[in-house]
Amino acid sequence: MTAKEIPNLRELLGPRRGGLSRDRGRGRGGPGSPREGAEALKDNAVRGTDQDAAGSRASCVELGYLHDPYAKLFATQTTTRRLPLLNRGTYVRTSAIDLLVDKFLNTSPDTPKQIVSLGAGTDTRYFRLRDRYPETRIVYHELDFPTNTAAKLASIQRHAQLHEKLTSKPPPNPLTLDQTATSYFSETYNLHAIDLRSLTSTTDNVTIPSLPNLDPTLPTLILSEMCLVYLKAATVSSILQTFLEKYLPSPTPVSLILYEPILPNDAFGRTMISNLSTRNIHLPTLLAYPDLGDQRARLRSYGFVDGARAADTEWIWKEWVTEEEKERVGALEMLDELEELEMLLRHYCVAWGWRDGGGEGVFTKAWDDVAERR
Amino acid sequence: MSIGGSDLDKAISQLRACRPIPENQVRELCYKARELLIEEGNVVGVDAPVTICGDIHGQFHDLMELFRVGGDVPDTNYLFMGDFVDRGFYSLESFLLLLCLKVRHPDRITLIRGNHESRQITTVYGFYDECLRKYGSANVWRYCCEVFDYLALGALVTGAATSLPPTSAPLADNANPDSFPSDDSEIEVETLNAQGEIMYRYARNSDSQSSNPTSNPASSSPIAPTPSRTGAAGTGATSSANGSKSNDTGAVLCVHGGLSPLIDTIDKIRLLDRKQEVPHEGAMCDLLWSDPDEIDGWGLSPRGAGFLFGADIVKCFNHRNDLSLIARAHQLVMEGFKEMFDSTIVTVWSAPNYCYRCGNVAAILELGEDGSNAGFVRRSNGERGGGGGGWILGSNVDGNGNRRLSSVLGEGALGQRARDGPGRRYRVFEAAPQDSRGMPAKKPVADYFL
Repeated sequence: MTAKEIPNLRELLGPRRGGLSRDRGRGRGGPGSPREGAEALKDNAVRGTDQDAAGSRASCVELGYLHDPYAKLFATQTTTRRLPLLNRGTYVRTSAIDLLVDKFLNTSPDTPKQIVSLGAGTDTRYFRLRDRYPETRIVYHELDFPTNTAAKLASIQRHAQLHEKLTSKPPPNPLTLDQTATSYFSETYNLHAIDLRSLTSTTDNVTIPSLPNLDPTLPTLILSEMCLVYLKAATVSSILQTFLEKYLPSPTPVSLILYEPILPNDAFGRTMISNLSTRNIHLPTLLAYPDLGDQRARLRSYGFVDGARAADTEWIWKEWVTEEEKERVGALEMLDELEELEMLLRHYCVAWGWRDGGGEGVFTKAWDDVAERR
Repeated sequence: MSIGGSDLDKAISQLRACRPIPENQVRELCYKARELLIEEGNVVGVDAPVTICGDIHGQFHDLMELFRVGGDVPDTNYLFMGDFVDRGFYSLESFLLLLCLKVRHPDRITLIRGNHESRQITTVYGFYDECLRKYGSANVWRYCCEVFDYLALGALVTGAATSLPPTSAPLADNANPDSFPSDDSEIEVETLNAQGEIMYRYARNSDSQSSNPTSNPASSSPIAPTPSRTGAAGTGATSSANGSKSNDTGAVLCVHGGLSPLIDTIDKIRLLDRKQEVPHEGAMCDLLWSDPDEIDGWGLSPRGAGFLFGADIVKCFNHRNDLSLIARAHQLVMEGFKEMFDSTIVTVWSAPNYCYRCGNVAAILELGEDGSNAGFVRRSNGERGGGGGGWILGSNVDGNGNRRLSSVLGEGALGQRARDGPGRRYRVFEAAPQDSRGMPAKKPVADYFL
C-alpha cells in the first residue's frame, strides 16, 4: 500500500547536523573557547526574547485586547499582527499578572510599595501603574542585561510621555540622559543594568552588587515574567536567597510572581523544548518544575511560607476572567484554533508565593481570596 | 500557455518539489479546476475504496509523507476534507498540487471545502500573506479563492465494506497480538503505523443488543482492550448474505466541520447555493465550522461560528439518512483520529505536529470496497467482546516510550444505531523530519510566549 516511489524522508536523514548545543558538556574551555561562544550566543538569544514579547504586546494593544499606550513606544519593529491564539495568550498572561499586582497595590494603599521586575526588558508595567495609581508611592526597580537597559533608556529619552514619568515630579526640562548610560535611578523608577547571575550568593563574604534605592523594609513584590526560566534552577534559588536574606531581610514582606511554561514531558512540551532549542533558547526550570505542584513546592522552598499558589493560564482564562470580559475579548477576533489555544494555555502557568514576615500580612490580605487551580 | 496534458504533468512535478508554478499557470489551473468543480454537486458521490484525509494546513512535506504512507495518486483514491491552506508555510504549494491532481485525475481525488477555504480566514491565518510574498501580488490568492467558492460542501461515500480484508502486514514491534481477534473474525478496525505495520486490530462486535448497559463510550477511563476479545462477529444486524451488494453498511458522509440545526437531510445540503464566500452563519457555515461535543442536542460554539452537537443529533441524523458514519476533520486530535458517540462520527486529522508546535500525530482513514470480503462466511456463534464500552488504545509509537498514542474508539452498543459502520483502517503517521524540508529562506519557527 505504501507508495514505493515516494522516498521515505526519514530514511534520507544523515547524522544530525551539529547545533551549538553539542558544545555543551565538552569540558571547560578558556576565554574564546567554543563553550564560551555558545554561552554568549545563548545570552544573546535570551536578550532577543524581549523584542518578541514587545511585539506580542503591541499586537495585542493594536487589536484592543489590552490598553497600553506605552507598548508601541518600545517596540522597535513595526507591529506585525500575531495569530489570534497568541494574542489571547498574551492577554491572559498580562491580565493575570495585572490582577495580582492590582490587589497588592490596593491593599493599604497609603503604605509605600516596592516592585522588583526581573528581566523587565521593554515591559511597560511601571508606566501603566503610574497612571493607574497616581497617589500611591511606588518604588519600582527593573533589572536586565545592560544592552536591554540601554535600549530602554534610549526609548524613554525619545518619548516625553515616558521620561516625564521617571520621577515623582516631572522634570522641568526635557530629560537629557548620558548617551552611554545603562542605568537610571530616581526615588520612584530604577533601571539596573545587571546580569542576574551576579546576584547569586555563594558565600557570605562575597559582596553583592548594590541596587541603589532598593528599600530593605518596604513590602516588595518580585516579578519574573519569562525571566528566571532561562537560568539553572540552582542559580534561581540562589538569586532568591540573596533577595530574601540580604536585600530584603526578614521581616520585610516579600512575594514572587512567576510566569513560566510547564508540562515539558508531553508531546506539546517536548516539541516546545526542541523548537526553542533551535533558536538557542533553553528553559532549565521548565524541566526542574514540570507541573503546578512542583511550582508551589518550589515557592515554599525559597521561603515563601505564607502562601504558595499556582494555576495554568487555561484555567485562569476560565476562572479569573469575568464572563463580560470574555465576551469582549472573544469578539475581537475570530478564533479558529481552539484546541491549539487550550493546549498552549495549559502549558503556561502563573505561580505566586509570599512571606508576610509576621507583620500585618499585606500579601495575605491581598491574595488570600485569589483562587488557584486545585 | 494552456495547462493540459504534459504541461500539467510538468506543473505537478514542479509542485511535488515544493516549487511554486508561474502565475499564468495558476490562473489556467484555477480556471480548469472551476470548470470541473462546477459540475460537482454540493455533496459529491464517491465510491469506495477511498482514503479519507483531514486538515493539511499548508504542511507540504507532511502531505508528501501522507502520500507515501497512503499510496500515491492515482493508485489510491483520496478524499480531502478541506483546510488545505493557512497556518503552515506551504499553503500555496499544497493546495495547487492537490488542485493539479484533481484536474489530472478528476475521478481519483475529491476535494471538499474547509472553513479555511475562505477569503476572510485566509487573510488572518497566512495564505493571503504567503501568496503576496511568493508572487508580489494578490492575484494568485484571488484565483485560489475563486476555486474555493466552487468546492463541494460534502461527500457521500457508498459501497464501503463492513469489514477489512485480512492483510499480511507485519506487526508493529510494540503491538500486542494476544489482544488481536482470531484470524477468522471479521475485522472492523485496524490501526497501522507509517511503516504499514499493524498496531491494533479489532473484531466487529454484535450490536443487536447491548451487553454493557452502563457503558460510556466517550469515557476517558483508560481501559485497555480486553485480551479475551476472541469472538467473531455476532448475530442479527451484522449478518448478511455473504458477498452480496446489499447495503450492509450505510453510506459515510464526509464534511469538514459537522452538522447544522438547519439541515436534517442530506438532500437539504444539496439544495444550498454554495458558490459564494463562506457566510458567517447559516447551514453552509455550520457544515464547515461545527464540532461534535459531549452535550445533549445543540450548543453554542466557542469558535464564534457553527454549533456544537451531541450524540443524539448524530444518531438521529445518521438514522434518518441511512448513514453508518460521519467522517469530519476540523479539530486537532493528538492521536490523529478520534471516534465518538459509539463510532457514529470520527474526526480525522492529517496535519502531524500541527503548526510545527503541537507534537501530535496524524491519521488517514481507509475504507475498503464492498465485495472485498466476498466468500467470507461469518460465524454466528461469536461472543461479544469488549469490556468497558469505551476503549482507549495505547501504545508507544517509537519504541522508546517517547510518545503515547491513544485513541478512543467508541463501541456500537445502542439500539438506535441502524447501520454497521464500515471497516476502518487508520494509518497513523508523524511529521516529516525537519531536515528533509528543502530549507526555506526562513526556518519554520513556531511562536511561544517569551
